[in-house]
Amino acid sequence: MRLRSFQRGLRIGAIAFAILTYLILIGLPTRLGVVAMPVLALLTALIFWVALRGGKSKQALAYRAPAPLLLTGATAGLVAGLLTAALIAGFARLLAAGVNVQPYLDKIVPMNIAALYGVMPGAVVTGDLPAWSWLWQAILLTLAGIVGVLLVLSERALRQRTWSTGGTLRWLTILLPFILLTFVIWLGNPDVTLGGNNRGTLRLLAAMAAIGSALFALRAARPGREQRVLALLLLLGLAYLPFTLDQFQNSVMGIVFIFVMMGLGLNIVVGFAGLLDLGYVAFFAIGAYVYAFLSAPFASPAFSALLTSLGIPADGPLISFWAAIPITMLTAGLGGVLLGIPVLRLRGDYLAIVTLGFGEIIRLFMLNMSDLTNGPRGLLNVAPPYLFGYSLGNPRDIFILALLGAGVIAFAAYRLDGSRLGRAWIAMREDEDVAQATGVNLVQTKLLAFAIGALFAGLAGQLYAARQTNIFPDNFTLFVSVDTLSLVIVGGMGSIPGVVLGALALKGLPEVLRGIDEYRIVTFAALLVVMMIVRPEGILPSTRRRRELHDIGGPASESAALEPALPSDYRTLDGGKP
Amino acid sequence: MLVLDQIHTYYDRIHALKGVSLTVERGEIVTLIGSNGAGKTTTLRTISGLLKPRAGNILLEGAPIDELPAHEITRLGISQSPEGRRIFARLTVEENLEMGAFARSDKAGIRQDMARVLELFPRLRERLHQRGGTLSGGEQQMLAMGRALMSRPRLLLLDEPSMGLAPLLVEQIFQIIRNINEQGVTILLVEQNAHVALSIAHRAYVMETGAIVLAGPAADVLASPQVREAYLGG
Ligand SMILES: Nc1ncnc2c1ncn2[C@@H]1O[C@H](COP(=O)(O)OP(=O)(O)OP(=O)(O)O)[C@@H](O)[C@H]1O
Ligand SMILES: [Mg+2]
Repeated sequence: MRLRSFQRGLRIGAIAFAILTYLILIGLPTRLGVVAMPVLALLTALIFWVALRGGKSKQALAYRAPAPLLLTGATAGLVAGLLTAALIAGFARLLAAGVNVQPYLDKIVPMNIAALYGVMPGAVVTGDLPAWSWLWQAILLTLAGIVGVLLVLSERALRQRTWSTGGTLRWLTILLPFILLTFVIWLGNPDVTLGGNNRGTLRLLAAMAAIGSALFALRAARPGREQRVLALLLLLGLAYLPFTLDQFQNSVMGIVFIFVMMGLGLNIVVGFAGLLDLGYVAFFAIGAYVYAFLSAPFASPAFSALLTSLGIPADGPLISFWAAIPITMLTAGLGGVLLGIPVLRLRGDYLAIVTLGFGEIIRLFMLNMSDLTNGPRGLLNVAPPYLFGYSLGNPRDIFILALLGAGVIAFAAYRLDGSRLGRAWIAMREDEDVAQATGVNLVQTKLLAFAIGALFAGLAGQLYAARQTNIFPDNFTLFVSVDTLSLVIVGGMGSIPGVVLGALALKGLPEVLRGIDEYRIVTFAALLVVMMIVRPEGILPSTRRRRELHDIGGPASESAALEPALPSDYRTLDGGKP
Repeated sequence: MLVLDQIHTYYDRIHALKGVSLTVERGEIVTLIGSNGAGKTTTLRTISGLLKPRAGNILLEGAPIDELPAHEITRLGISQSPEGRRIFARLTVEENLEMGAFARSDKAGIRQDMARVLELFPRLRERLHQRGGTLSGGEQQMLAMGRALMSRPRLLLLDEPSMGLAPLLVEQIFQIIRNINEQGVTILLVEQNAHVALSIAHRAYVMETGAIVLAGPAADVLASPQVREAYLGG
């Protein structure tokens, strides 16, 4: 038993080492600066946590005793720590010896190694490194292994005791967003030097973590008054974010929340109704272009000519941003119905292919209808929103608007989820025939899913156009659909808070990691694969999904479906006593 | 109550029902038996509107229903427990039952029927919050029947309720079917298990390759040499 725990530790340590090597080689330390080593250690702890908890089954969590677990964790940490320390020291030696490794390993620059040692790059070149620093790195990563064990143990404790009995961890979860918010605000103080050049990045990261942890805090709170009070406090705290973040940070958050709006809409189509729509970008594009036509008619040759011939001046916005909202949404919704009608009878992969085609058709239409859309040159000078004569076009205002938009859509989605229509969607997703036989009008239910999803994408598209002010067909490629679908899946299909987390993870984090841009796609692809294995239901799944994928709620398993393997007390069946 | 008059149903070019006529009177249990592939399931799916007949009429209380979409037929009081149960595997037992009452809006009535169904199937009460897919085969069958009852049907279509169940359980399920019938629900029962089906039914139809080949009171059909040979092993 002890030997097996040890071997498991070796294996997990080696895996962690491989991941760390990859992260170092793609230049993550440079990006993180002073906090490189702590962040790597934190990441390692998370890797250990995932590896130690042992797959997805509840049993794996429940049946491993603390002592062998600790042995495994400590071994893994020690292995990863020593190997990584050796690797870093090795690179440092090479660099100090004047070996030019760049042709082979393009990110092993002195800066990268310096970040790991917490010294200036010059020190690496001269070989003037703290002597015992490798030990510090090894210890830090060993500690990460132990933290991983603690995470597994506390997760287990939480599951067994359930949230309602309270506990320190529950309160920590509830307090975490406030701690992070305070940290964000504190980092905004110009006198603070933490993070050096990367202070802004650190701040953005903390802001995103604050939003993400707020969602977990809400889940940890007891339903009822505690949850309501917490929600109010969190809302107040988060509402302060746009006012404390700088332009760049706000602009990243703006795009993240535009994608939250998109994700919430697609979540209705895919998560609630189970219709795999890969052409979702079409409605985003429709929203953006319709708003562009309305606010900058002069940019479109055909449209401005038409207006002029009707005697309507085309040299300024036709209507305000606010008045345009119903028009863009309804147009996009109509697009949703138009897409829905031909695909009513399609399911699964066929549906995916046809909708994918629809998305591309809209883009090609925008690209080739030059008279109307100005083709690849795009529509320029789209108007920002105005309120009482003030422009709301700067990143902070766009972030606020996106927050509001996402809030409204989230509320609508939440109401829909519990509604009659929501139940019809679920039934349809499960079994179309039976749903119909229980009285669900399939045509209407499907079209409503497409239309409502499209409405929300249209609103997101309008806000996007107002944010960009110039829009081009290239803004609306298939990748927008794919990104949106990914964030829905990563967050947890069908889960509303999951969408927010998914958007933060897939749209926000890459912005933070701009420095490792070229490796972004690979890194995220790998993350996605790992996630789908460890947590197929998403980061923050809806309770129903979790039930679907983890067999929670009953001892019987799938295979029981056909066997009448019934317990002996079965005779109570006909209502009589045994 | 229900009349099928010369019904022809196709799967594309496959002629599955070749002029099926049958009637079900109010309060009856009528059983439809026949070998595999005879068209029994097709008949039920045609009645409930999931398949559209290419020719012939279906009348419910004298009014034609063959043109109506399935969800409207449900609202007229026909409900079915489909072949292979097909419960919503990822919904809980309770949600499955609620889904059965989807077409209704009378909350009090639904609650009442929920209680009635749980009384009929006490096993389900213990498992209200378990998801459907984790139920045993027998429990799933009860759930499928319970779900069908939740729409408070006038006519209940049952497609092989005994499929895959142990003999003891088969007997109990049929007892429940009789109970349901006594509570005033008319039943059209499709079964492979001809012997038991004929023993609880009032009347019976025998189907072969898409057509009715024999009809009559259940006792007569049970006694007919043709049926004894083909379905009851001599
Ligand atoms: N979806 C389908 N597409 C094509 N043919 C079908 C389809 N469903 C059923 N059939 C055919 O129609 C005929 C009748 O099938 P049906 O399912 O009604 O038989 P059944 O009497 O219910 O049989 P069983 O007792 O085995 O359930 C069969 O020949 C079958 O192959
Ligand atoms: Mg059948």
